[in-house]
Amino acid sequence: MAVPDFDVIVIGAGHAGVEAAWAAARMGRRVGICTLSAETVALMPCNPAIGGTAKGHLVREIDALGGLMGRAIDATGLQFKLLNRSRGPAVWSPRAQADKRHYGRWVREALTSAPNITWIFRRAGRVLVEAGHVSGLEFEDGGAVSCRALVVTTGTFLNGLVHIGDEQRPAGRAGEPPTHQLAESLRAFGFEMGRLKTGTPPRLDRKSIDFSRFKEDLGDDPPVPFSFSTDRIDRPQMACHIVHTTEAVHDLVRSHIDRSPLYNGQISGVGPRYCPSLEDKVMRFPEKERHQVFLEREGLDVDEIYVNGMSMSLPAAIQDAIVHAMPGLEDAVVMRHAYAVEYDFVQPTELSLSLEAKRVPGLFLAGQINGTSGYEEAAAQGLMAGINAAQRCVDATNVVLGRDQAYIGILIDDLVTRGCLEPYRMFTSRAEHRLVLRIDNADLRLTAIGRAVGMIDDARWARFETRAARLDRNRARAATTRVVVNGLTGTAAEALGRPLVSMDNVVSAGYAFETDGVREIDAATLEAECKYRGYLKRHDAQQARVESQHARRIPEEFDYEGVPGLTREVVERLSAIRPVTLGQAGRIPGVTPAALAIVASRVRKLGT
Amino acid sequence: MGASFSTADTIVAVATPHGRGGLGVVRMSGPESAAIAQRLTSRELPFEPRHATLAVVRDIDQVVVTWFAAPHSYTGEDVVEISGHGSPWLLQSIVESACAAGARLAQPGEFTLRAYLHGRLDLIQAEAVADLIDAVTPLQARVAFDQLEGTLTSAVQRIDAQLFDLAAKLEASLDFPDEGFHFITRTNASADLAAVQTELERLITDGRRGRLIREGRLVVIAGRPNVGKSSLFNALIGTNRAIVTPLAGTTRDLLTEQVDVCGVPLTLVDTAGLRESADVIEEEGVRRAEQAREVAALTLLVLDGSQPLDGDDQRLLAETGGPRVVIANKADLPSVWSGSGIAVSAVTGRGLDELRAAIVGALSGESGDTAGTEDLRDVPRVSNQRHLLQLEGAVTAVTRSLEQLNQGATEELVLAELTDAREALEALTGKRTSDDLLRHIFSTFCVGK
Ligand SMILES: Cc1cc2nc3c(=O)[nH]c(=O)nc-3n(C[C@H](O)[C@H](O)[C@H](O)COP(=O)(O)OP(=O)(O)OC[C@H]3O[C@@H](n4cnc5c(N)ncnc54)[C@H](O)[C@@H]3O)c2cc1C
Ligand SMILES: Nc1nc2c(ncn2[C@@H]2O[C@H](COP(=O)(O)OP(=O)(O)OP(=O)(O)O)[C@@H](O)[C@H]2O)c(=O)[nH]1
Ligand SMILES: [Mg+2]
Repeated sequence: MAVPDFDVIVIGAGHAGVEAAWAAARMGRRVGICTLSAETVALMPCNPAIGGTAKGHLVREIDALGGLMGRAIDATGLQFKLLNRSRGPAVWSPRAQADKRHYGRWVREALTSAPNITWIFRRAGRVLVEAGHVSGLEFEDGGAVSCRALVVTTGTFLNGLVHIGDEQRPAGRAGEPPTHQLAESLRAFGFEMGRLKTGTPPRLDRKSIDFSRFKEDLGDDPPVPFSFSTDRIDRPQMACHIVHTTEAVHDLVRSHIDRSPLYNGQISGVGPRYCPSLEDKVMRFPEKERHQVFLEREGLDVDEIYVNGMSMSLPAAIQDAIVHAMPGLEDAVVMRHAYAVEYDFVQPTELSLSLEAKRVPGLFLAGQINGTSGYEEAAAQGLMAGINAAQRCVDATNVVLGRDQAYIGILIDDLVTRGCLEPYRMFTSRAEHRLVLRIDNADLRLTAIGRAVGMIDDARWARFETRAARLDRNRARAATTRVVVNGLTGTAAEALGRPLVSMDNVVSAGYAFETDGVREIDAATLEAECKYRGYLKRHDAQQARVESQHARRIPEEFDYEGVPGLTREVVERLSAIRPVTLGQAGRIPGVTPAALAIVASRVRKLGT
Repeated sequence: MGASFSTADTIVAVATPHGRGGLGVVRMSGPESAAIAQRLTSRELPFEPRHATLAVVRDIDQVVVTWFAAPHSYTGEDVVEISGHGSPWLLQSIVESACAAGARLAQPGEFTLRAYLHGRLDLIQAEAVADLIDAVTPLQARVAFDQLEGTLTSAVQRIDAQLFDLAAKLEASLDFPDEGFHFITRTNASADLAAVQTELERLITDGRRGRLIREGRLVVIAGRPNVGKSSLFNALIGTNRAIVTPLAGTTRDLLTEQVDVCGVPLTLVDTAGLRESADVIEEEGVRRAEQAREVAALTLLVLDGSQPLDGDDQRLLAETGGPRVVIANKADLPSVWSGSGIAVSAVTGRGLDELRAAIVGALSGESGDTAGTEDLRDVPRVSNQRHLLQLEGAVTAVTRSLEQLNQGATEELVLAELTDAREALEALTGKRTSDDLLRHIFSTFCVGK
């Protein structure tokens, strides 16, 4: 067979596509990235911000594996905050507002300067298959390129339909034509597909708002970076402004609630439940007199102001009335009304844990096309699809992260095991091992894995090893230094283990904590290990037994049809998903403990 | 090997107790059961669901056949019950013919296992079936029946729902920090948790008494000769099982009888009077009495209230450690000492009710709680060791999360403990189980259930 044009082709340059291309290129593959426009690379069509609870965890993990997102936001962020700082380190989560245009440009530059990435600004049309394996990509306007592996990351474009008020128009996003041919090509493989919807709040014109009337909200000083490789954030930080809703606003929402597609049934359970809309806040928490809304700038050179906390699905005229009812926004000009987009997605149960399509070897899917919502969720999948597509080209083993290893592992396991009935967003509560999966130790969990596949260069690796060695020294000293804190004597580690005792307390009591200046993260690791030690010790012992049962592998060729006692429905679910382990089988909806017991006893009998 | 998890074939077994009886029932469950019944009775027409039909099993017996069509049956599968005359031989012949016609012999618990696999029963209910079959006292049956009805399941589900609600609020505070407020205050969370803790503890207290009812206890009557041990034994069991004479040293061997005391099934043991003796038979009897006391859950130390306490009495008072009830017998006669013993007369029956209450109180109190003060006629909701263990696991986790909360720990740690508590409750109802556990549970059943 002739050498193909590319090793890996990536369709789409959203947050998933750029990570996929970057990863495959870093691993030495020749990559083509096919997208519609240079202007929309890594675009943020909604909230111009990266991170947030659980999403921030994803970004740290992407970074620990050698991905782009953490560095991109560190370079272009306007305001950084570590959320949940008043809670324990396991739920600290970084969030930053991005300068939207600069962010996209930074990412485009990163890909352009990578040695083996070629941009292909064309419209992808058809996935080509030869001898049961992906062989290339045909463009909508003719012509084709060949490849060994193909990663599709077309986001909301598949048969996209934008709703603005009552108006509906085919579009991938506002102002961009949708993708039909590629959608047909995927459908032709027989994938189970579904339709989801998502929306974005209105934008206001900066020039029509008198910001002096609002309380300023500042970010952290100093800002805590996302990337393990960023020492300091040097860009000037910007304030955003806080507005509060009033009873008048709530009344408007309540009196028009029957015109909200989210509530009147027009959008039924297919929109993101989690990104709480204004309607949700008003209806679900009637006892709250006011809700906070942030006015956020989308960039230094952009006039649009993003109204964070006011996503809604009410008609345009009511949106105007609501905006104008907010104290201080009486004269604000709405530049763009909230809109929603409806799109096709592929049920991710069509994929294996490597994100490769079970029906079409060599074809990988990542991002919103798999039913997720959010830049970070998309980027995380893109990275893993890129890594596994690169591995595929040289027949190397898949890289699959466990649920106890990374939020990325949970994300992908949930998707391919359970499928999507509504847009999937990451939450820390999805993690069984939440106290272990922290932002401070993402590198300890994952950087060696990134290194093994060639994602981590020597400089980064050296930095990691220095940090790990320093942590070990800090741990050893914490176990031996005796301190008195709040009248109690004990080791520094014991003191840190108590609620309400902070690293500062322990350091002022005489514990010599070694740091390279980025103290936050080093201290967090130690504090978490001490605070959670009691629980984790008990929990690990308890879980060990369960896990060993759950880790038991189900043979690849295992035939569920032949297993008596399983209902038709369960046989079909299991045969379609083909879980790798008993644990995964147990997470499939509809597989009861009884059904799992039947499968387990059969697997055991086969003596695998 | 316990029950198999296969439900593809048709199983058959005699469902009524072994031995002769007026009637006996053979039960079949599985896809072929109706067809097999038709073949056995040489019927052309299918049986009508839920109708008792008179038929003849060839060369064996005249029977009544009832077909319960899936899913409206005990197992959720097609079930056929064949009632015949209660001779073991006849019933066995019907089973054999059914096997010849394509059924297979059921393993212990397999009918109930199938009911569980088809979602007709939850795990607690399945366990209750076993208890119901084994029940020997009315209260035992009542406890098991309530569990079968789902009282325990719903009590546990209520607690789990409370925990879930609390967890959701704590999670929301973590998930939406932008909102700048806690979805639940520390004080409210603390109060909610304390309420759950109380409810769990109530179930556990219940459970200690429930286990007593389910499992029963060994109670030994001890005392020096002639104080009226055998008389008391007879009075408690309600028949003249033991020989009573005015002679000291009447009882030599251990006498054992089952008795229902306030719903608790007791194994009551009468023993030889304890004293130094030259008689080898009596000496052996005393040795046995001492052994019985060692394994007993409770000793009833009998003293004679109409006689001054002698050296043997004093020695026994000093020696019988562990849970015991002291009895001053012969209360119908003028008493010559007064002490802490319960005044009872084995002859007139005076004080027996107090004695019964004291026995149950002492037995429930064996784990140091106050169950004995509750109304003894209450039906405890928990009675099974496995359930009790999971409840104890849950309450430990809830207690820890309450401690964490009160010490100022933040949501994620409180939630970690709550998750453990919920897992214990899910294990209890069988929402989360391992197949080993299932195998174990169903293997304790008798065949035919
Ligand atoms: C209106 C709107 C509101 C949203 N609101 C939220 C929200 O509130 N919260 C939230 O978390 N997330 C929200 N999102 C989702 C978030 O933006 C996405 O999840 C994320 O950007 C998806 O990334 P992706 O890489 O999968 O796809 P996208 O970022 O959508 O990228 C798709 C890429 O594919 C390219 N492409 C499409 N078709 C073709 C073709 N035929 N040939 C070549 N290239 C093609 C496009 O040019 C684009 O580069 C919203 C998205 C939209 C559009
Ligand atoms: N008045 C009166 N006599 C009793 C009472 N209980 C037992 N007696 C009499 O006491 C005598 C001894 O009774 P037992 O029941 O045989 O005594 P025991 O403790 O079993 O004696 P040993 O078997 O010899 O150890 C008999 O004559 C009984 O009738 C009682 O409550 N009141
Ligand atoms: Mg006697």
